[in-house]
Amino acid sequence: MKSFSRLVYPYVVWAAIFIVVPMLLIVLYAFTKEGNGVLTLQFTFDNFARFFSDSIFPNVLWRSLKLAIITTVICILIGYPAAYFMSKLHVNKRTMMVLLITLPMWINMLVRTYAWRGILLDVPVSGEIKVYIGMVYNFLPFMILQIYTSLLKMDPSLIAAANDLGANKFETFRRVVLPLSIPGVISGITLVFLPAVSSFFIPKLLGGGDFVLVGNLIENYFVSTGDWNFGSAISLIMAMIILISMFVTKKLDYESAEVGD
Amino acid sequence: MKKLIQFKNIVKSFDNQIVLKGINLDIYENEFVTLLGPSGCGKTTLLRILGGFLEQTSGEIVFDGDEISKVPAYKRNLNTVFQKYALFPHLNVYDNIAFGLKIKKQSKDIIEQKVNRMLSLVGLEGYAKRNVTLLSGGQQQRVAIARALVNEPDVLLLDEPLGALDLKLRKEMQHELKKIQQEVGITFIFVTHDQEEALTMSDKIVVMKDGEIIQIGTPTEIYNEPVDEYVARFIGESNIIDGVMKEDYLVDFDDKDYKCVDHGFRENEPVDIMIRPEDIDIVARNKGVLNGEVKSTLFKGVHYEIIVETVSGTSKTVTMHVLGNKDIVNEEEKEKISASNFYMDLEDVPNLTTGDVTARANAQAWNFDNEDLSISKVTYDVKNEKGVYPCTFETSNGTAVTINITVVEPIFTEDATNEEAVQAFDFYKTVDEIKESIALDTDLKRWANATAWSLEDDSVVEIYDVKYDFDDENITEGDYQITFATKGREFKIHTTDYKKEGMKVGLSFAPEDIHVMSKVGF
Amino acid sequence: MKKLKNLPSRIYLLLILAFFYLPILYVVIFSFNESKSLTNFTGFSLQWYEKMFNNRTMMEAIWYTVIIAVLATIISTIVGTITAIGLSKSRRILKETVMQVNNLPMLNPEIVTAIGLMLFFTSLQIKTGFTTLLIAHIAFCIPYVILSIMPKLRQLDNNLAEAALDLGCTPWQALIKVIIPQITPGIVSGALIAFTMSFDDFIISFFTTGPGVNNISIYVYTMYKRINPSINALSSIIVFVITIVLVLVNVVPLIRDRKKKGKVNEEDFSNSIM
Repeated sequence: MKSFSRLVYPYVVWAAIFIVVPMLLIVLYAFTKEGNGVLTLQFTFDNFARFFSDSIFPNVLWRSLKLAIITTVICILIGYPAAYFMSKLHVNKRTMMVLLITLPMWINMLVRTYAWRGILLDVPVSGEIKVYIGMVYNFLPFMILQIYTSLLKMDPSLIAAANDLGANKFETFRRVVLPLSIPGVISGITLVFLPAVSSFFIPKLLGGGDFVLVGNLIENYFVSTGDWNFGSAISLIMAMIILISMFVTKKLDYESAEVGD
Repeated sequence: MKKLIQFKNIVKSFDNQIVLKGINLDIYENEFVTLLGPSGCGKTTLLRILGGFLEQTSGEIVFDGDEISKVPAYKRNLNTVFQKYALFPHLNVYDNIAFGLKIKKQSKDIIEQKVNRMLSLVGLEGYAKRNVTLLSGGQQQRVAIARALVNEPDVLLLDEPLGALDLKLRKEMQHELKKIQQEVGITFIFVTHDQEEALTMSDKIVVMKDGEIIQIGTPTEIYNEPVDEYVARFIGESNIIDGVMKEDYLVDFDDKDYKCVDHGFRENEPVDIMIRPEDIDIVARNKGVLNGEVKSTLFKGVHYEIIVETVSGTSKTVTMHVLGNKDIVNEEEKEKISASNFYMDLEDVPNLTTGDVTARANAQAWNFDNEDLSISKVTYDVKNEKGVYPCTFETSNGTAVTINITVVEPIFTEDATNEEAVQAFDFYKTVDEIKESIALDTDLKRWANATAWSLEDDSVVEIYDVKYDFDDENITEGDYQITFATKGREFKIHTTDYKKEGMKVGLSFAPEDIHVMSKVGF
Repeated sequence: MKKLKNLPSRIYLLLILAFFYLPILYVVIFSFNESKSLTNFTGFSLQWYEKMFNNRTMMEAIWYTVIIAVLATIISTIVGTITAIGLSKSRRILKETVMQVNNLPMLNPEIVTAIGLMLFFTSLQIKTGFTTLLIAHIAFCIPYVILSIMPKLRQLDNNLAEAALDLGCTPWQALIKVIIPQITPGIVSGALIAFTMSFDDFIISFFTTGPGVNNISIYVYTMYKRINPSINALSSIIVFVITIVLVLVNVVPLIRDRKKKGKVNEEDFSNSIM
């Protein structure tokens, strides 16, 4: 049986080439100048200096983060009650609901966003609001399903125990159900926040082109301008920010699990 | 003592299935009450109704003078220790125990005081800050008890709380629970399926079966005077014998009268008689009230468990014809085939299939490399009457063997006192087949088609004994007698004296060791 | 009483569903619109479907989407299954390293993975097109396949494989006859995830494809400034196909179960006449 461990090796090679090397390339490009040959590689912080010296770039970054945070919060506020009500349904209706919520997710994200473009075409609201509608629409199912799973996994005897100890419905929810569903909310946040920060087609399709986010910025530098070094630097900055926020969220999750310690 | 809880005709049904069939039960203050019964008897349902997690279909629960059926769980002055404890995984030991007090908005210092008192009551001082999910089973159990007791309930409900613990810890917790109950002085209602647990801890045992209460009593009452066979079998070990109550103080079984201390039955009423294994003494032959033979002796630690047979079972003897090996060899195809003659019951003829014939004749074919070949053709013509019929088995290459099927009328022996019958047939086997058998008793039963049934209701009776006196490793051609017997009257006896298997002994017991019970359903 | 109490929650769930299905409904309705308007339904017509089938770029995009999804699913499922089995028998260090690396494309924003691959292909001066698109899809699908198979392997009773060996299987036979059947649900769900990921992918495809090779997502994206109701027609067809597939996936097992019951009886019958 041990000999099966050899089956891993082809993928180790594959992963090194197609996962690790591309990541390293981004770092390499971010720290070098345009036009550098392999032999004349010169490390530089210019790309990063350029990003922070012009207020446009940090503003775009901040706008992206704000959009992602607000989208995530809206998804929690709308998604939590939905997940909670779903978990209270009869088992047949419950699976039906899950199926109904999953079904639209099978349809191409761009196609669905394009549909919203049509619906909202003549609706007199700002591009920003349209972008929010598109974002929430695309990411809400992830949030609902994550919270729903964590609610469903909960041992019903814990709720009975809370009742037994004198907690009414509201207190049972506040002191037992809600804290125990936090891991579901956290994984929901991961699934919503992460793609929301870097999304660039939803703003482009719904925001009418003048709503520039960090994703659009990266796209521009790679596709239109062709300044890959600067584009790589922006990606690296974004990746770092996401990494830090994920770390903070995980830490919060850990602390909420240790409440009262 | 004051009545604390009264169940009045509680009925509960789920989806048309009745789980509780009208339970009436009074529970007093400071009692340790155990609801005892096998899983599915309704004991947990009754507990959950009292806890407020289920609503009864009909009936009343009176708690301390008030009807509480409509009171929600969180307002009832009782607390539960759940089956798997249901500790809140997001709270530590201290916060789990403090949960109920915080809900009641008690002040911080009072909560701290009470929680600490509870921690020392259950022996978990210093564990306050621990993560509950990392505690051992026994420790989680203690937290669950403390969490319930800290609310100072009038009643503590415990739903099989010891089930998840290992044997040693369970014994420890039994004592611990009893000690805690005596210390806090409140009513404990304990649900279990473990009779030993019930006997050890309870003031009062409630034996349940199929949604009904069968018996209520102290552990001694339940053990010494079970109301019927069900309770007697459920609590402790016992010998239970069908008998007849001749008159007051005189009972009859196995054609013999015995003095006893029971009375109040109808004359000649059929009864169940219970004698506990520890109440029977093994004495010299003819010195006791019964004679018998030691069938088996098992060492159980403190004592031996000895089985003594006093009346033998119903038996039937058949002849086994052992033949030499007679494989048919087909040199051309390099194949061999073999099959044996067999006897069969006339009654089985209409349902005879090719598969049956092949199995009964043990027809096999194989090639010179000892690889099994399949039998592709079976020809037989068995008529629905007594007689001898030929039957041929053939492989696809034409290697064939012919045997005789002898159809006979069934012959069986009946035993009127045991009310049983045993049937078996003579049969043919080769030396090799007997030598190759890995479970000879089972094979002999199958080959002889031995069956036994009750004359009362035609139910199947197990063939308990297969007796023969050949050495199956060195058997030669010839005829051998084999006897198939059912189980006779056996007594289980617990004693500290070793007795060898096969020893002829006497059994003795006193009239007060006999406990007579009404038959279930009379 | 009880019904009334649940009413607000039911209404809430219905509103959520309405939100989810509004664009789908919209797309289907306006795909039959007579005029080019995206806001006024002026009359029924099939012209947008006709236009769609006559649009070569669009048909090519559909073809590329499907063929890439099918190939990427098959290859990534096979490689993923083999790797997952290997990982379950590997040393801890190797296992954890591979899993960490595997997590990279999932933890990173898709756009980072996308430009990484783009930089990789161009630095090696590989011409982007069908092959690079396929490689990129396989690369991001494999981690999902591995991730959906690993839990099944972890749940697997170790004694099962040992029992198979004990009963005379070679390790290879034990793998085929015992382990693979046990993890089939994981393999199937991994393949399904891979297919949908590939079918729906936009960002990675956008950066790794070359001229002339577009999938549906890229086609829709490049249309973002123009109004083209043919996209509604295409979307309606996708909705239709996916609904059919999902219904089949949920109904077929039911029918199969019923058939199986019939088969068991048949088997009993054949045994008795043997």
